[in-house]
Amino acid sequence: MPAQKDADGPGLDRAAFNKALLDSVGVGLAIAEVNSGAILFHNPRFLELFPELPANATIEQIVDVPEDAEFQGAGIVIREQEIKIKRRKASLLIHFSRHSLPEGEVMMVECHNVSKVKELEYMIESYSKMVEKNARDLRREKERAERLLLNIMPKSIYEELKSFGVTTPQRYDHASVLMLDFVGFTSMSVATDPMSLVSELNDIFTAFDRISEQFGCERIKTMGDAYMAVSGIPEATPDHAQNVAKVALLCRRYVRQRGKTRPQDWQCRIGIATGPVIGSIVGVQKYVYDIFGPGVNLASRMEEMSGPMEITCDQDFYDLIRQDFQAEPRGRAEVRGIGEKNIYSLVSANEALDLAIG
Amino acid sequence: MEQNLFEKYGGFSTVSRIVMRFYDQALDSDILAAYFEDIEMERLIDHQTKFVASLMGGPASYTDEMLKQLHAHLDINDEAFDEMATLFRATLEEAGLDADDVAAVAGEIVKRRSTIVTTS
Repeated sequence: MPAQKDADGPGLDRAAFNKALLDSVGVGLAIAEVNSGAILFHNPRFLELFPELPANATIEQIVDVPEDAEFQGAGIVIREQEIKIKRRKASLLIHFSRHSLPEGEVMMVECHNVSKVKELEYMIESYSKMVEKNARDLRREKERAERLLLNIMPKSIYEELKSFGVTTPQRYDHASVLMLDFVGFTSMSVATDPMSLVSELNDIFTAFDRISEQFGCERIKTMGDAYMAVSGIPEATPDHAQNVAKVALLCRRYVRQRGKTRPQDWQCRIGIATGPVIGSIVGVQKYVYDIFGPGVNLASRMEEMSGPMEITCDQDFYDLIRQDFQAEPRGRAEVRGIGEKNIYSLVSANEALDLAIG
Repeated sequence: MEQNLFEKYGGFSTVSRIVMRFYDQALDSDILAAYFEDIEMERLIDHQTKFVASLMGGPASYTDEMLKQLHAHLDINDEAFDEMATLFRATLEEAGLDADDVAAVAGEIVKRRSTIVTTS
């Protein structure tokens, strides 16, 4: 093409400019005849992508040229192709377009080297997977820690601790407490294999936990062979005494049924009582949720006054549950540290409760 | 808590710079390129990203056992290992790590020579 001065670009040599543009552009460009595939032109960048380009090579020898049909209705056909530049693999995005010139039909081939983009894509993918996996692990770990904490404190207390970092002791005026231990546990542990004894105790307490949960009670703690549960904490319920009475009866039944099929004879004593209770987290690094107060003391006294497989309560408790439960009066008795009280042995639940227990 | 290198140098952006640069250099190296010839780019980048992240204390870890497995079939010799260590060192320096940290990370790599080199 003869160099020509353009009217609208005085001083601009259009042909030289076009050539410079083609040489410097970051895309590998080639123009080939559609029929013969002969490469009419390629820019230096194209040669960088295909350094071993043989003289007289056709375009089909170098890239995957789309079929004629693929150009129907499409201005540009885009192909991805993996090539090797010397020893390195590279990913190309190739745009093919057809143009009719007076000399005949030609195909323009634009090769974009997208290797870096691909590499980055792979890297980001790899990295995000790593991060996601980590996030999943963290979440699992957090859930595990949460589950552990929920084992030692009620959910609402845990929420308070999580939100404020501290908890305040709370007084609950209407709560009932259950205390249970096993008769002769200390001599039992000496007499038999301590490992199996502890594993049995674990079984029994696990069953108690299920019973407590089912009937609106919360297990507060176990200590040795002692088990303590409460109702009315931290959520108030008008049925706190009924709940505790039900749990007492079901725990006793569980122990009784269990004894029928096992050599080791477990005998529990249960005390139940109602009264004000204070619930609080105790400790900073090693914390436990514990309860204190008259209700707890009284339940403990009631337990002391129980014989094997007996459930003891006082008049106040009995008055709360007498509609629904049967209890035998045991007359007046001296309660250590508290004074004389009417006490009762809880026998069974009325049929209306549908517990079918005694 | 002690800040690890990964946090110190801005996390992923630094890791990605190191990986890209190291990848380029490894493929241009006469000694190393052959090892990478038949490996898919995707896998290679994946491993390098995780490996660099783990070397810097980021969210990944490679055990020596895994490294051994990954390299076992590659017949890597001491020369290739040394070349890799040298390039990696240079890459870290280029990425702007302090000399102490470069030495620490490079040390971590050199320590694993026996898990990677399988032939003489």
